[in-house]
Amino acid sequence: MTNADRVAALEGRADSYPAREQLQARGGRRLLSSDRAWVWLLPVVLLLLAIGIYPFLYNIWNSFREFNPMTGRIEPVGLENWQRLVSEIVEPAGRVRGALWTTAVYVVSALAVEFALGLGIAVLLNSGVWLAGLWQALLILPMVVPPTVAAVMFKVLENPDYGAFSYYLQQIGIADKVEPLLGGTGKYALQAVLIPDIWQWTPFFVLILLAGLKAIPSEPLEASQVDGASAWQTFWHVTLPMLRPMIAVAVLFRLVDLLKVFDYIFVLTSGGPGTRTEVISFYAYQRSFTTIEWGYGSVLGLLIFVLALVVANLFVRVFKVAW
Amino acid sequence: MSMSVPALAAPTHPPRQQRAIDWGRVVRTLVAAATAGLFILPILWWALASVKPTQEILSVPPKLFGFEPTLNWYRVVLGNADPTQFNVEATGSVGRGSGGGTFFSIPYLRDSAIVGVGSTVLVLALALPAAYAMSRFALRWRKDLAFWILTQRMMPPVVAAFPLFFLFQQLRWIDAYHGLILVHAAMNVPLAVLLLMSFFDEVPRDLDDAAMVDGATRFGAFRNSLSLVRGGIVATAVLAFIFSWNEFLLSLVLTTGVVRTVPVASSTFTTAFATEWGYLAALGIASMVPIFIFILVVQRHLVRGLTLGAVK
Repeated sequence: MTNADRVAALEGRADSYPAREQLQARGGRRLLSSDRAWVWLLPVVLLLLAIGIYPFLYNIWNSFREFNPMTGRIEPVGLENWQRLVSEIVEPAGRVRGALWTTAVYVVSALAVEFALGLGIAVLLNSGVWLAGLWQALLILPMVVPPTVAAVMFKVLENPDYGAFSYYLQQIGIADKVEPLLGGTGKYALQAVLIPDIWQWTPFFVLILLAGLKAIPSEPLEASQVDGASAWQTFWHVTLPMLRPMIAVAVLFRLVDLLKVFDYIFVLTSGGPGTRTEVISFYAYQRSFTTIEWGYGSVLGLLIFVLALVVANLFVRVFKVAW
Repeated sequence: MSMSVPALAAPTHPPRQQRAIDWGRVVRTLVAAATAGLFILPILWWALASVKPTQEILSVPPKLFGFEPTLNWYRVVLGNADPTQFNVEATGSVGRGSGGGTFFSIPYLRDSAIVGVGSTVLVLALALPAAYAMSRFALRWRKDLAFWILTQRMMPPVVAAFPLFFLFQQLRWIDAYHGLILVHAAMNVPLAVLLLMSFFDEVPRDLDDAAMVDGATRFGAFRNSLSLVRGGIVATAVLAFIFSWNEFLLSLVLTTGVVRTVPVASSTFTTAFATEWGYLAALGIASMVPIFIFILVVQRHLVRGLTLGAVK
């Protein structure tokens, strides 16, 4: 098969595909075999390699160098940055250790709330409500606000003095000016940062899970109901298992994105008070751009990458994602 | 949640009773409306801010009525009116944000739209065949490939931005639409491939085999199955577009202002002296309206696809 044939096949000019009869003569199984799969996959792989590989290799190389403020140049430092990473993880008061812990709390809280809320709302919207399309379109809107802008919005809304959100929380007695969401002693700083995250990304689960619910064929559901299963049993034993692949994709991508979370913390708290809300990617930003330690910033970036790799791999294994 | 439990697995259209009111449905609709209302509150507040004079925007308690509504913010942001003629005494604004940008935002909206639509089309064009192949061909390394694709979203932009900047400088792609389109596509292709793969997996393989026995080519079978994964395509397109529309750091680093997307422009509305709430709110709402309409239009495809029985 020539390249022209492959292009013709991909572009859908199926009729001008001369090898077709020949292939079919060898049987339909031939077409199902994987030997031409690379034609379909190559564009994606090329794009990902083209954009992805250079930053990856650059950061590995950069992790063995450091900016020297004395000479104003980037100089090789050997394993110094990696040794520093290890010591900041091992020491009880190490900043990476603290940032990892904060990241873990942040990721688990956000993921749990967003998934539970998102699934609940998706099921509700799929349960035959009037104007479901309108509610759904409205529910997706929070995602349309750029996270940096959303963070600015919530910085105003949560301001203890002139924030509308804080005002109403105070009115119903949940918050007070002594321990406000933002500012004060920072007791609720992490919650203050989580609120815009949950507001923006619950709709992510709603959108994917609702599309998944709609894609489930109705026969198994009907069969289950005919067999006398309760709504809850049907949901637990039929709907949820069939929704599993979509749940896996949604959770995995949200997980990976949460491990990189930056905007809300940057705008709302800058990691403070102290390092209370300092997640790992904010610490990487601090090292790269505030203290101009580019090499160490690269190390921290690679740490996030490895972390995401390990956590995602664990998730795929534990939840037996059927890829 | 507890309210919706009885309806968890109800089909989309419960059998309608002739006269009696379906109270369960009324309650569920009210809960859905209340939930949507709760999520939309910050945006309503934002919309209100976009028609308030400066001194009212941050007033507490927030005023729903009793202020003099103004369209001045929109006149500047969308109509290129001279900001100094309206608000100079109120905001101290000289009509320019930081970084030399003006508040007139039609060019930013245009740039965001070009990059957003371009990258979404590219994402779908690349991800649909790939997802189909991963779902249909017997790939021994399907699991590894899927995981590798997922790993392509793991590099934090904080450390990926500068290497990409150096690369783009070499290629002279700074301020180029196609550069941003490629980067945003690469950012969104992993989600698109894996999500669409899950949707293709739900469509029985027999359909393709049957079509090909009937003489369709592999590409023909692929095209046939597209209508069966419509819901997945719509969800993927909406997500890819939104992720591109919102992307900040890479768009900031890979442009110098010749091309400027909405999130980057928004960040210039916070100057060293003040945050221009009115302009920020007006641009925010103006950029939301077209996407809201887009979602309303495409989501009718998010209906239940053909059932298995209907296809057989």
